[in-house]
Amino acid sequence: MAAARLTDLTYAYTRSDTPALDRVSLEVGDGLTLVVGPSGGGKSTLLRVLNGLVPHFHGGRISGAATSAGVDVITTPTRLLARKVGFVFQDPELQAVYDTVEREVAFGLENIGVPTTAMAARIDEALTEAGATHLRGRRLSTLSGGERQRVALASVLAMHPQTVVLDEPTSQLDPEGAARVLEATVRLKELGRAVVISEHRFDALRDEADQVIAVDGGRATAGDVPEEQSPVTTRRGAPGDEVWSLRDVTAGFRDHPVLDHVDLVGRQGEVVALVGPNGAGKTTLLRTITGALPPLAGTVERCPGRVAYLPQNPAALLHQPTVRAEVELTLRRSPNGWHATPVLEEFGLLHVAGRYPRDLSSGERQRAALAAVLAGHPVCVLLDEPTRGMDARARGALVTVVTRLRDEGASVVLATHDMMLRDAVADRVVAL
Amino acid sequence: MNARAVAAWSGACLVIVLTTSNPAYKAAVLCAAFTVLAATAGLRRMRRLLLSVALVGFFDVLLNFMSAHLGLTVLFTVPYAVPAFGGTYTVEGLAFGVSGALTIAAALLAAAPFSLLLAPHDVMDALPRVLASTGTAIAASLNLVPSIARSFTDVAEAQRMRGWRPRGPGSWAEVLVPVVLTGAEGSIQLAESMEARGFGSGPRTAYQRPRLGRSGRFVIAGAAVAVAGFLASRAAGWAVDWYAYPALQAPAIDPRPLVACLFLFAPVMAWRRRG
Repeated sequence: MAAARLTDLTYAYTRSDTPALDRVSLEVGDGLTLVVGPSGGGKSTLLRVLNGLVPHFHGGRISGAATSAGVDVITTPTRLLARKVGFVFQDPELQAVYDTVEREVAFGLENIGVPTTAMAARIDEALTEAGATHLRGRRLSTLSGGERQRVALASVLAMHPQTVVLDEPTSQLDPEGAARVLEATVRLKELGRAVVISEHRFDALRDEADQVIAVDGGRATAGDVPEEQSPVTTRRGAPGDEVWSLRDVTAGFRDHPVLDHVDLVGRQGEVVALVGPNGAGKTTLLRTITGALPPLAGTVERCPGRVAYLPQNPAALLHQPTVRAEVELTLRRSPNGWHATPVLEEFGLLHVAGRYPRDLSSGERQRAALAAVLAGHPVCVLLDEPTRGMDARARGALVTVVTRLRDEGASVVLATHDMMLRDAVADRVVAL
Repeated sequence: MNARAVAAWSGACLVIVLTTSNPAYKAAVLCAAFTVLAATAGLRRMRRLLLSVALVGFFDVLLNFMSAHLGLTVLFTVPYAVPAFGGTYTVEGLAFGVSGALTIAAALLAAAPFSLLLAPHDVMDALPRVLASTGTAIAASLNLVPSIARSFTDVAEAQRMRGWRPRGPGSWAEVLVPVVLTGAEGSIQLAESMEARGFGSGPRTAYQRPRLGRSGRFVIAGAAVAVAGFLASRAAGWAVDWYAYPALQAPAIDPRPLVACLFLFAPVMAWRRRG
């Protein structure tokens, strides 16, 4: 039996004229199915059809037919479909209900009325399947992103779903956390569950995928795992004068310094990549350079001029009614003859320029935030995980922009887990 | 620590402090609440709470002092022509403000064990079955509070880097709008996650049902005696009210209501310290 079957399915979100899925007909088999495609192409919407969040949670208009785990999706509410189809979301922080691992995994069991006496065994079993047994007694607030995501997976597995759907589960994680989550995902397939996963990090799944579905512009077709091509850049001239410097800087919390006696400088026309696991102090270092976080000791100096800072969460920036307005706001505040259109074009955002930024997919949103901060001529560019949620094409566009900024004389600092980005643009790598 | 016992103790503190205007009894409740929290949560974890209580109390005193303009013991007078601030500033206004601050402080400390000593699931487990779903939804939403607080810092920093500066109340929209929107998106994502795990699909079961042990029963009994004793004292006319105006007088203090308040210290003996 197929894990899911969609027949001529068309779906449009409320207040949207363009369908997010357009006459999609496909069959999802058992084993591991990899869903690929550009940001905003309809991957998340397709996955949400499989457990009924589309249309039951999101509303909108739907036509055609869809079955998942043998159940009619269009007539069965998600809360009932949840017994057969589990769903793991992108952001591990925003899907937790309880504050401890054990209770979080028990949440689904409580909802579907599993007797109390049977719960402990199912929690054990699910934590084992997700590779998270050692986390059982922990509080969620003490877990890393990768550990939280494995707990989210366990909380789904405890309900014994036939199919497990994962929507970019590693997009918020460092490479080690991501690897652990993908290992657990592959193990599910080996245990005989149907797994459907949308993921930008193909490599770990390349050999494991039994089926690949390519989704673009709302259309879904059978596809192959795309080959990733690393962009090649060339640099013009040597780095120039110092733009910022940290001398013997200690920063972080008074009782728990994250950076300890750090000496570092950034120069004109230079790209510095900060690497290291989550919690190593990459964000603290960026915030110290911006001046947002005063150092506990040492001195921080920065040349005058605009600092472009992309925080880890792009939602922190976006509040204007359109993507274009976000870019125009930055340009208005630092007038330099630039216009919004070329900036939007550079980031491949012209087609969504008139849309509300928070209605975009996570990858498009990230690009909108980048366009908003990088517009104009910043002298210092500080980007915290800039490729989060981005597809290969968008990452390529970012490489082009970073290279341009560097060649124009900006000092660029990237805090990133993305090795492709690091290898493509970094003049210097600083490991924390 | 049993959430029902915590609720009984907090409820007893609130009943006493909200039914009397006598600052002596309010101070007794405040003293009990502070001691219980210090003994169980520790002063270090109470630091922020105490700072907030002190701030709220200070503003309450200040507001009453500056706005009451009643009482016979005048400290100084601001010309009546000065808008909003003109009038007499009195000892009675100050004392009444202090009494109000005692009420606020005692109430806040009495309610604090729910956040300082209990996890959200402790509270949910203690709810009657009929409220289980509502309780779950409330507890889940509480999980969003830390991320919203973090989001405020993130947004303010990010907007500052884009050239935003706080210039009057209107300018804060640039920070508050993204914070509110981020919070709303977080709520939607959480609701989506709950729905996807079968929330609301039928009668719920519970992983753990809290047991009311000996210590819980001891605290509940202490709370019941405190409330019954205090209300009886009021009915008998022993716990008389106090009013600062027109001329300040010391509050009447009777030992019997104070003895009733002593039972609010029961948790000090019953509850173990939580790290």
